[in-house]
Amino acid sequence: MTGIASAQGAVASSVSRTGTYPAVAMSRIVKRFGAVTAVDGVDFDVRAGEIHGLLGENGAGKTTLMNILFGLHQPDSGTISFGGEPARLRDPHDAVARGVGMVHQHFMLVPTLTVAENVLLGERGGVALTRRTVSSMTEQLRACSERYGLDVDPATPVWRLSVGEQQRAEILRALYREAKVLVLDEPTASLTPFEAEQLLPRLRAMAAESTAVVFITHHLDEVITHTDRITVLRGGRHVATLQPGETSTRELARLMVGRDVSTTAVGIGVATPSESRRATRIAPGGSKMLEVEGLEARGPKGDVALHGVDMSVGAGEIVAIAGVEGNGQAELEEVLIGLRRATAGSVVLEGRAITTLGTAQRLSAGIGVIPSDRYRRGLVRALSIADNLVLDRIGEPPYGGALTISRRAIRTNAREQMERFSISVARPEQLAGMLSGGNAQRIVIARALSRDLRLLIAAQPSRGLDVGAMEFVWGQLDAARAKGVGILLLSTDLEEVFALADRCLVMYRGRVVASFGRSELERERIGLAMGGVTHDDAAHDDDDERRGSPR
Amino acid sequence: MTSIDVGAPVPATTAWQGYARAVTVWLGAALVAFALGGILVLIAGGSPVDSLRAMFQGALGSVFSVGQLLVLAIPLLVIGLGLAVAFRGRVYNIGAEGQLFMGALAGGALLLTIDGDGRLMIGLALVAGTVGGALWGAIVGVLRARWGVNEVISSLLLTYIALFIFGWAIRRPFGDPSAGNNLASRPIPEDTLLGTLPDLFVHYGLFVAIALVPIVGYVMARTPFGFRVRAMGLNLAATEVAGVRTGRLVIWLMLVSGGLAGLAGIIQVVGIEGRLDAGISQSYGFTAIVVALLGRLNAFGVLLAALFIAFLNAGGQAMSVEEGLPYSIVLAIQGVFVLLVLVADRFSRV
Amino acid sequence: MDWSSIVGIGLFASGLQLAMPTALAAVGETVSERAGVLNLGLEGMMLTAALASFVGAYYSGSATLGVLAGVVTGMAMGALMAVLSVLLKTDQVINGIVLVIFAGGVTAFAYERLFRHLGVPPEIDALPKLAIPGLFDIPWVGPVVFNQNALFYFSAGLALCAWPLLFRTRFGLAVRAAGETPAAADAAAVHVDRIRTVALLVCGAMAGLGGAVLIVGDVNLFGTYITAGRGWVALALVIFGRWNPLVVFGGALAFGIVDALQLRIQAASGGTSAAVPYEVFQALPYVLTLVVMVTATAAMRRSAQPSALGIPFRKGVSE
Repeated sequence: MTGIASAQGAVASSVSRTGTYPAVAMSRIVKRFGAVTAVDGVDFDVRAGEIHGLLGENGAGKTTLMNILFGLHQPDSGTISFGGEPARLRDPHDAVARGVGMVHQHFMLVPTLTVAENVLLGERGGVALTRRTVSSMTEQLRACSERYGLDVDPATPVWRLSVGEQQRAEILRALYREAKVLVLDEPTASLTPFEAEQLLPRLRAMAAESTAVVFITHHLDEVITHTDRITVLRGGRHVATLQPGETSTRELARLMVGRDVSTTAVGIGVATPSESRRATRIAPGGSKMLEVEGLEARGPKGDVALHGVDMSVGAGEIVAIAGVEGNGQAELEEVLIGLRRATAGSVVLEGRAITTLGTAQRLSAGIGVIPSDRYRRGLVRALSIADNLVLDRIGEPPYGGALTISRRAIRTNAREQMERFSISVARPEQLAGMLSGGNAQRIVIARALSRDLRLLIAAQPSRGLDVGAMEFVWGQLDAARAKGVGILLLSTDLEEVFALADRCLVMYRGRVVASFGRSELERERIGLAMGGVTHDDAAHDDDDERRGSPR
Repeated sequence: MTSIDVGAPVPATTAWQGYARAVTVWLGAALVAFALGGILVLIAGGSPVDSLRAMFQGALGSVFSVGQLLVLAIPLLVIGLGLAVAFRGRVYNIGAEGQLFMGALAGGALLLTIDGDGRLMIGLALVAGTVGGALWGAIVGVLRARWGVNEVISSLLLTYIALFIFGWAIRRPFGDPSAGNNLASRPIPEDTLLGTLPDLFVHYGLFVAIALVPIVGYVMARTPFGFRVRAMGLNLAATEVAGVRTGRLVIWLMLVSGGLAGLAGIIQVVGIEGRLDAGISQSYGFTAIVVALLGRLNAFGVLLAALFIAFLNAGGQAMSVEEGLPYSIVLAIQGVFVLLVLVADRFSRV
Repeated sequence: MDWSSIVGIGLFASGLQLAMPTALAAVGETVSERAGVLNLGLEGMMLTAALASFVGAYYSGSATLGVLAGVVTGMAMGALMAVLSVLLKTDQVINGIVLVIFAGGVTAFAYERLFRHLGVPPEIDALPKLAIPGLFDIPWVGPVVFNQNALFYFSAGLALCAWPLLFRTRFGLAVRAAGETPAAADAAAVHVDRIRTVALLVCGAMAGLGGAVLIVGDVNLFGTYITAGRGWVALALVIFGRWNPLVVFGGALAFGIVDALQLRIQAASGGTSAAVPYEVFQALPYVLTLVVMVTATAAMRRSAQPSALGIPFRKGVSE
């Protein structure tokens, strides 16, 4: 099925008009993980000097396809050729040897090592790793960083770098290895809009030097503006390859999702928040549900993660906390849920101090939680859907008393919730670990919203979900708000913030640095705040804290 | 150790398939273990067939020997049940041996210092033993819940400490001068000894042990406590976020498993030894770990496993006397068996 | 109590000797845990190796062969642990416990089978102490450190190599990456499972050497459970040493000195009729280990624990 002849035939069909072979061509790639076919016979090629956007929803197969290109996975069938020459990539070494460099969505950097050590990790070499070797690498990287204007100090341990710097470190690594094909997986996902704007011209510069750039994203606006060609994947299959000039965001959205969808849901970069999905609601900011003052906390490595956070959430109000990951949101989430102890400050729920209370008590006080990591913190994968739905209330009637459990009540509840929250699965006895991301999140939400809530903490609620699930989640949050629940939404997705927030706070380096009312929500200003630049910053100059200044 | 293995394969089975697999795994491992035992017997210079016969004969040959088998099974069962509960919650209590001795000490001390009606004193001693073991176990639980201290290491260290405390106690305050070199305490009053079943020569502790099986089974399967314990063992973080007080649960699990170990200890005192000495346990606390694992952490399984291990040990003793083979063959078989079950279990989960 | 007779050169010298088996096992475990594998079977590894080294030394008459047998056996146990924890990816805590149980059973049987006929427990010859000329003359330190047997010097040298192994070789870099962020190591084409297996072999070899040192270099005989919990103490020391092999090694040596101290006090205080029960001193090292573990764990502000410790590595999970 994948003989040399067919490989060459596939390659021949992707030869450009000028008659040269593309930098890399992938042909009829198939990859299965157990019962799931992640990539189903996809053709994909990139030419030298081109920026090629790879577009698709979460779960469409883009990352898997590129992981195959980087040698992280072996395709079940299909071929890969470089400049017309078929190649087999057994591991990332082979891929790097062929000139493939990858900047992953979740950075593949070891936090406890320096940037230089991280690069050395992937290098082949002698047994000994002397200080001289390390410093030589450090210097080489420094030179490379200057050459490409990446502004990364390779001697710094990765855990000290900001998210944007970490990404630049990954790019540095790829460029140091003289990547001829540079793949970036959701590069702007972890960047402030400002940093994103700086990244894209850099990519252009690299393309100008004949590097082939692949740009994986689900952001339509980026792809339309900054690429030379766009390939759309859906459900693991290749749907279309077009030129940006020949298409529109609306068409791309339709290709991505397979049907017409509201453009807000797929993130067309709407600069003003859409009003269309807002149900009628109680005027926000009535009674204060949550008041946080001077909250301080440390992160897992002992560093100070929260530097004195002040904020409040009113009844029937959605307060969003925007900000790039790594600025304290995770720690804030943990402190508010009760998993992490604050070192200073207070948390007050409806006038009652809950700073020292544990998670169980906070839940009984009326806090609901949609945790950011649904598999680690949301669900117990080896328990059934029904069991997961009652995990927080198993001792309460009707599900159980002191010494009994009512299996019938659990089952009934499960059927009700599955109906109400459209969990499309056959039986409630199904194990939670077998569900798709969307269904798993529905369970988490079902459990959280099926209590009497005063305050809901929703952390990255639609992360990794396809459009349908995302719309569902937003609808649920809206409905809860309409019932008077105060909602604290932690999100790195600005579209989500724009769609839902009554107020938006921006977190940067463990502090709330800006606050915007609904009418003030504006991409550029929020973006600047996410990067630490605010109106009242002229005096403080946060920039001095950061290594290097924005350009 | 708060790491979560999010990627572990989720068993795609119904309950019945799970049982069927468990039985197959068991039988397969048992066959291999016996085969290996046969090889070991050959190595030791004996005859496998004769040894096997001696084993069965010795363990089940007469009413008396069956009784002895049951006597052996009692502490394994009681402790094993407690460990099964704790292990379900991923609280790895390896210190049951120490909790056993502390329970025995607590109950024995009561009996040796206070006089009273025999029956009453037995009852009080059983309670004291359970409490003693529970508190000793609770130390481990608190250390883990409060400070995140690894319970495997701490429970083991406390076992060594418990053994030293026990050794001192039977030497000094409760010592029996006439015991000579064998360290032992004074004997407990006659009327505080447990009676025995007439024909079987098994002490009444048997009823306690048997009664515990359905109790533990029920608690694990049909109470909120059991539900939470299972959830916690599968995913600690998610269970915490769902509002379960996992710290408290950890301490409870140590109280329960320590308490049951202590109960087993005092039962050994009033049921068999009649005094405090080293003979109240033959590594029951450690063997019970094997029992719990073999029983796949559920009550009925633990019952079967306890009987099986008791059979191996009792039969092994008989075999070693009859055939002149080292008793430690049994220990070796046990060790291999538990290893095999572990491996086979993993393969049965695909 | 005559303190001057207790505390002195002899105390420290014998303390170091006493400490070496635990120190070796602890350093080996550091390597394994740095790679992300929790090896709770350490006690079992030491025990089997101890028996193997005894058998080897007894039958061959050569201490070197005995030690070799111990190391090889340790490595074999390490391989067994690798099969369980790295290949089969079963629960690492249970694997360790099972290994210890397995080792206990098998060593008891093997020892009995081999030596029961002798009646009197067999012994092997002790190793002579080698005073290193020159270094022996350094005041205070000399007679303590440089008047040990050859095995001690060898072991100490090997254990100290763990630090450069972890921090100055590519292998060590890969180990640290595999234990901290295995996904990143995988993306750098580091074969995570292979590295972990090698780390376990190293750990097994060190634990095996520890068992061998205990028998050949110290007690010169074998008995059931002769390791007496040294493996567990070693595990606690790894936590105490914050996974830095030098600190772990130092901690183990310090612990050995306390152990030696306890033995001497026991002897000096008059044995069974002493005012303070000798059990107090017997328990002292374990109590101390417990206290050390609690303070080390509780006071850990910056978590030094390798982030992937205890979690088997599976590719492509995070999707």
